[in-house]
Amino acid sequence: MPGAAERGSELSEQIEAFAARLRRGGERPRSEDTARQTLSLLRKIVGHGRWSRAGELMDLIRTEGQRMTAAQPSETTVGNMVRRVLKVIREEYGRLHGRSEESDQQESLHKLLTSGGLSEDFRTPYPSLRANVIEAINEMLIELEGTTDNIAMQALEHIHSNEVIMTIGYSRTVEAFLKEAARELKFQVIVAECAPFCQGHEMAVRLSKVNIETTVMSDAAIFAVMSRVNKVIIGTKTILANGALIAVSGTHTLALAAKHHSTPLIVCAPMFKLSPQFPSEEDSFHKFVSPQEVLPFTEGEILAKINVHCPVFDYVPPELITLFISNIGGNAPSYIYRLMSELYHPDDYEL
Amino acid sequence: LEDAERPPMNTFRAQLRDDPDVASAVAAIRALLGFLKQDRGETIQGLRNSLRDAIDTLSRVDSSVAVSSGGELFLRFISLTSLEYSDYSKCKEIMIERGEIFLTKVSLSRNKIAKLCHPFIRDGARILTHAYSRVVLRVLEAAVESKKRFSVYVTESQPDEAGQKMAKALRKLNIPVTVILDAAVGYIMEKVDLVLVGAEGVVESGGIINKIGTNQIAVCAKAQNKPFYVVAESFKFVRLFPLNQQDVPDRFKYKADTLKTGQNLTEEHPWIDYTSPSLITLLFTDLGVLTPSAVSDELIKLYL
Repeated sequence: MPGAAERGSELSEQIEAFAARLRRGGERPRSEDTARQTLSLLRKIVGHGRWSRAGELMDLIRTEGQRMTAAQPSETTVGNMVRRVLKVIREEYGRLHGRSEESDQQESLHKLLTSGGLSEDFRTPYPSLRANVIEAINEMLIELEGTTDNIAMQALEHIHSNEVIMTIGYSRTVEAFLKEAARELKFQVIVAECAPFCQGHEMAVRLSKVNIETTVMSDAAIFAVMSRVNKVIIGTKTILANGALIAVSGTHTLALAAKHHSTPLIVCAPMFKLSPQFPSEEDSFHKFVSPQEVLPFTEGEILAKINVHCPVFDYVPPELITLFISNIGGNAPSYIYRLMSELYHPDDYEL
Repeated sequence: LEDAERPPMNTFRAQLRDDPDVASAVAAIRALLGFLKQDRGETIQGLRNSLRDAIDTLSRVDSSVAVSSGGELFLRFISLTSLEYSDYSKCKEIMIERGEIFLTKVSLSRNKIAKLCHPFIRDGARILTHAYSRVVLRVLEAAVESKKRFSVYVTESQPDEAGQKMAKALRKLNIPVTVILDAAVGYIMEKVDLVLVGAEGVVESGGIINKIGTNQIAVCAKAQNKPFYVVAESFKFVRLFPLNQQDVPDRFKYKADTLKTGQNLTEEHPWIDYTSPSLITLLFTDLGVLTPSAVSDELIKLYL
């Protein structure tokens, strides 16, 4: 069928273009946009791809998913969305297959003792599976739209009048969070500029536009100022499976200073940033960009004698974090494992 | 009662003798399954009572936590299955069938754990381990197979020098190993990159019960900010919630023979200690990589 072949190659091109854009990584894309684009691509694969059984669909999504995540491993939202879709497929298949809603998909001691045989093989074809999965993906897209608002709605529970709040760099989620609280309360914000890209400046400009009293300071002054701060509110790039963070470079320093002064550290991040990976040898979360920002090329002579690095991300261990505020509410870092088991299936942790 | 006692003890002893690699909980469950097959009773209640007696007999042979957790798990397995089928003979058939499936699954658990754990061992890592653990051995074997180079420090682990046994097994795998004194843990901790231990039992809070000396190592590791990893199969999860060392029952602390003689236990040295969950970084089990807080979730899912 010429139509299908055409669609197939067009789809393949789109995936290639997406992967190329990720690999180039020039502009710093918003995680929500990356997630949305990934979901749209996955929806197209489900809709137009050539598959007849759930098992084939899952393999197809897994292969495409591996291609996309390999392009830019530090963009973990791509992998997260792929895993969410795989879980959706398993659930829809289970529902059509007639398995009871309560049966636990996860490995557990209970399942170990009571299961009667082999696990699912996903081989029975169901014609309505395609439509069901596409509908579920549409629901996920709608959920994606509302995440920032859901997080911002919780602002008044956590921020009080006349508080001094510290943040670092520029996070759109934190911006929305603080703006929502500013509609009713008066408080001060101190923004650490987050060298070398100094996104903190942009954050300060945006906050001051809604009349929030903002101060910008250098990263080196974080510890010095911390004793006057009531709360630290930050965003993050990724939340790892043990409750740790991969956030902008400088966040670990901020977290340690907060711990030293017993200041609560609150992380505002939507659930699509939760990744089932643990920080291990094979982690590839680290991203290094041109060291031009740290030591400009105009410095000439000295460049031959030294090594210059410009890492983008930092690892923050779970002990330093007080609370995660996500679109489904507030949770402690020790509860992350539970949220993960609701979003992803253990067989999909390794794509 | 003499006749009913003998078969599970004999099967149990025979298994431990013939296959030194088998976990004692698995041997216990296999013995209990054999006992179940031979049981002549007609009711679930009678079956449960005779199973409890059998488990008691087994603990008199080997008083470790693992046998107790294996036994509890088996009893729970019986209860869960009996709830589904009211006809006793059908129920018994299903139990035997599921029991065999369960045993095949748990025999694969060590490999699953090794697969999960070995990525956490970096190339060039220096690992500290304690006493002799077959699961840790399997994990290190998997790391060697994935072409990683690392060196191991093993504590001597008195009073039975289990560390020497571990060192011998590691040398066979061509891993550079150094045996250190139990007292030298604080000294060596600054050189070490991570600590990897097994567990005899994993308690509800996410803490572990393991060979005496484990708690010390965990405290030193915490003080020097080194990750403390525990590898354990899921059948070692046990329904205890000790708040301190005294809360661990005496029947686990001392060997079965010592308990039988009934002498004054204050003169005896305990064989195990309890490590609290705040000192543990991650637990690697066949149910996945768990943080200590996730352990109680698993136990609740099973027992409640």
